[in-house]
Amino acid sequence: MKTLRIYRLLVASSIRSRMQYKFNFWFSSAMSAFISAVEFAMLAVILHKFGHIQGWSLTESGYLYAVLHLGRTIYRTFASDVHHLEKYLVSGDLDGLLLRPIPVLLGLMTLNVSIRIGELVQGLAILIWSLHGLIASGQIGFAALPLTFIAIVSGAALMFGIGLATASVGFWITRIEVLQNITEDAARTAAQYPLTIYPKWMQGLLLGIIPIAFANYMPALYILRGQGGWWLVAASALIALLALAAGMALWRVGLSRYQSTGS
Amino acid sequence: MITVSNLTKQFRQTVPKEGRFSGIRTLLSRDYRVKYAVSDISFTIPEGEFVGYIGPNGAGKSTTIKMLAGILHPTSGTVQIDGLSPHRHRRAVARKLGVLFGQRTQLWWDLPTADSFDILAAMYGLEPQRKRERIGMLAELLELDPFMATPVRKLSLGQRMRADIAAALLHDPDILFFDEPTIGLDVTAKKNIREFLRQINRELGKTILLTTHDMDDIEQLCTRVIVINEGALSFDGTIPELRRRIGLPTLMSVTYRGEVIVDSGVFDALSIKEIDGRTVIATCNRAKMSAMEALRLLETLGEIEDIHMEEPNFEDIVHHIY
Repeated sequence: MKTLRIYRLLVASSIRSRMQYKFNFWFSSAMSAFISAVEFAMLAVILHKFGHIQGWSLTESGYLYAVLHLGRTIYRTFASDVHHLEKYLVSGDLDGLLLRPIPVLLGLMTLNVSIRIGELVQGLAILIWSLHGLIASGQIGFAALPLTFIAIVSGAALMFGIGLATASVGFWITRIEVLQNITEDAARTAAQYPLTIYPKWMQGLLLGIIPIAFANYMPALYILRGQGGWWLVAASALIALLALAAGMALWRVGLSRYQSTGS
Repeated sequence: MITVSNLTKQFRQTVPKEGRFSGIRTLLSRDYRVKYAVSDISFTIPEGEFVGYIGPNGAGKSTTIKMLAGILHPTSGTVQIDGLSPHRHRRAVARKLGVLFGQRTQLWWDLPTADSFDILAAMYGLEPQRKRERIGMLAELLELDPFMATPVRKLSLGQRMRADIAAALLHDPDILFFDEPTIGLDVTAKKNIREFLRQINRELGKTILLTTHDMDDIEQLCTRVIVINEGALSFDGTIPELRRRIGLPTLMSVTYRGEVIVDSGVFDALSIKEIDGRTVIATCNRAKMSAMEALRLLETLGEIEDIHMEEPNFEDIVHHIY
């Protein structure tokens, strides 16, 4: 409870800090929304041309895209600077967090919080549009709504786990940008499309090594198409929790190896 | 109470290769050079002591402080702060410590100064009443009121340092680590900060470990000096002891009532540097001869009118040990 209060306070002060630079705040929110809108527009153009990707319709692909991006938006909003740990490792700025009687991860999560309004609005818009289309055509019922909510939250936890594990590797190798490109950016870009378009080895990679497919594709198989069973959603949540636990464990070991910098 | 025993910290560095394709060969190399930033340091600091921790750049001062504060984990050896290990019980120890890094602010850069205190108070779980008392007291002692509403990034260095000191003291810790609190400040600001540090040590009984390159800080504040050089402890004792050990000469300038004739053969530990009419300038090695003995010797030369003694400059002493 106390931790939650401190988290709220720290997030609020972080947002106030960013509000000091109003132009930057609004401009970056607008830009990130614009970029992800362009991304989806490209997907839509492809689908419009061919009608479907490997049997996945436009509304279904929109659903995959929206669930993934909403999950990511939640992760990046609540754990913002975990993704930028490299900056703290190189500059030695983690020192300041280690001096305080709060968990270091909590401190890091509350620095430079960005409210990703643009991405949130855009993600929600696509999700609502997709769900509306799918429900109207009778493919899914309203029972899909709570399941979708679970899928989004567990996807956020999964991406947080992957992000945290990747960041923690930085305690050993310091520079992690390239690694993040693979585990976070490339994997997520890949998961925007239905998994079936990829060769088998790539599917294995996205299911087993960097299990990003559990953030949208796997739960969607059941939610949208009734394949497998409800356990697909539960398994996705379980894998998210495992990834989070692994990330936390790696983080704890890494922190004890923190080297700081000279001064 | 701080107990440090056999504290060691080693860093591994890749050995850079030379010659052809040196970049790639360095990348593939598995050769490491182990560098001891701190090696086998032991000391104990009882409550209420004001200790100066000095050494040249790169001697391992900051590394030691970071291990004491729980930022770095020691390679071997132990640190205990009131019986607790800072890296195993980091959060409990953090409550007992106030830490200031003069080169790097701990305040929230873009927010008004007062906001930083609010955030810190919440982190340390201060009750609202207690928080008001602490901030009121510190604001008065450190004269923070004129810039409480100013964002930290717009403060002058002197103001920022005072605000940082207040931030380190907000939760009323008993042990304080100050890493270069007077760096870059003007004479008046330095004097004020020294006065404040003296006050919290003498009157409130805070234990203070101070690292600095400003020898006036050490000379005016510390009851004890610990010198570290190349990671190893090279001296631990009082300032007079340090003076004695180095044995730098005391300068004595004696003016006589009449002309003096000097027979230099008389004195061994006392050497005559200069004779200018009625004034004789002599240096005396205090490790071998007390000031009184030296005076008695000088008295045999004639009737003394005036005498002036100059102790060796502390900076020279330190220069000598490094």
